[in-house]
Amino acid sequence: MFLGLTHDTMATSSSRKCSAITGSARKIKDNMADWHNLMLKWEKLNDTGFNIITNISNMRLMSCFSSQSSQSSSSSSSLASADTAADLQDQCSKLREIVDKMVTVAIVKKMERLMTSQRGLQDLEDFQFGPEGRKVPLFHTWSTQQFVASSDILCEAFQQEVKLKQVVLQEVAHSTNSDLCTVYLSCWLHQPFIPAHVRQTLEALLLETGHRPL
Amino acid sequence: MSKPGVASLHEALQKSFQGLENNQKIWTSLLAECVPLLESLGNLAEQSKALSNVQLSITPLRVFPDLEDRLRFKLQEAMDTVLVKLNEKMSSFQSVRDAITNHVSGVVQLYEQLTDSLDLNCVTERSATAPSIADMMEWLQDAGRHYQRQFMKRKLLLQTLRPDDLTLMESAPGRWKSLASQSAEDNITDAFFKVSFFMES
Repeated sequence: MFLGLTHDTMATSSSRKCSAITGSARKIKDNMADWHNLMLKWEKLNDTGFNIITNISNMRLMSCFSSQSSQSSSSSSSLASADTAADLQDQCSKLREIVDKMVTVAIVKKMERLMTSQRGLQDLEDFQFGPEGRKVPLFHTWSTQQFVASSDILCEAFQQEVKLKQVVLQEVAHSTNSDLCTVYLSCWLHQPFIPAHVRQTLEALLLETGHRPL
Repeated sequence: MSKPGVASLHEALQKSFQGLENNQKIWTSLLAECVPLLESLGNLAEQSKALSNVQLSITPLRVFPDLEDRLRFKLQEAMDTVLVKLNEKMSSFQSVRDAITNHVSGVVQLYEQLTDSLDLNCVTERSATAPSIADMMEWLQDAGRHYQRQFMKRKLLLQTLRPDDLTLMESAPGRWKSLASQSAEDNITDAFFKVSFFMES
């Protein structure tokens, strides 16, 4: 959670305080608010997904364990395993929904769209001011180029992370190795492709655009 | 027989037992706060161990060449965070231990000052409502020693943890739990019962 800034407060503060700014600055500021909200949504989805993936790997390991311990056992165990299979399928579909939301419906696609919009602003500026760019910065000190570069860092991190999530989604229910299952779980939980500086980059963007008080 | 000496010792003992009781509560709640931290430390060690056991290049995760380093870094970062929190808890433990030691040594010091005016009888004399001064001082000192030992043992456990010795780290939650000495805690609680009338007087 980022300093308790919620979707609502972000929306109201940006519309109230900055009603004066227009044009590129307005657009960049709104984009940054969107970044913040998308990342919050991502965190929520990640938490929900983690609970599901924990269930999946537990079921998977349990079923491996029980099939090993009672290999020559009766039909009752096969009935039970049919039950678990249905459960497993159910959990996997839930996880698929989460990953789908991360990829197409909600997050990464929108992040890419923000990126396009950011590049568009850069192109517009190149067109308006020529190669040396605008003389006065839009906010405090940053050039438009820096906004593009920072958004790029964020976007790349999430694109890579979502690829990892897709692989984990495909494989977690097929793994019978408990160590590998644990690795899948920690990949999901610790998000190795979203390093700490992604947070800092977002904070820098929010500071520069005035969403956070200096 | 020196009445004022006994009275002031009694007063000091009452204060010390009161202090001990308050600090015991803080100690217990601190211990409870440490349990989830230790568990997550053990958990992180388990995850690191699993990562070391798996050869990622032969798994579907091979498409991410730098995944292992990144994940290991994240795991170590998470361990660091937990260890920092545990270190903060250790400082709290230390201040509780110091407070208890001060209570105990305060009574002992006062006793040493008054020792000329106190004869054996009034130190060992007990009544229906108050245990003898000697007994109470013994209980206090036992409690002081118990917390001192507990603090040292727990500190040592944390200090011997190494990021490269995952087995040691993994077993930390169990070892932390096994350091608890229920009999010593029970003795302290017993002492509180024994001095309860004395405390009310």
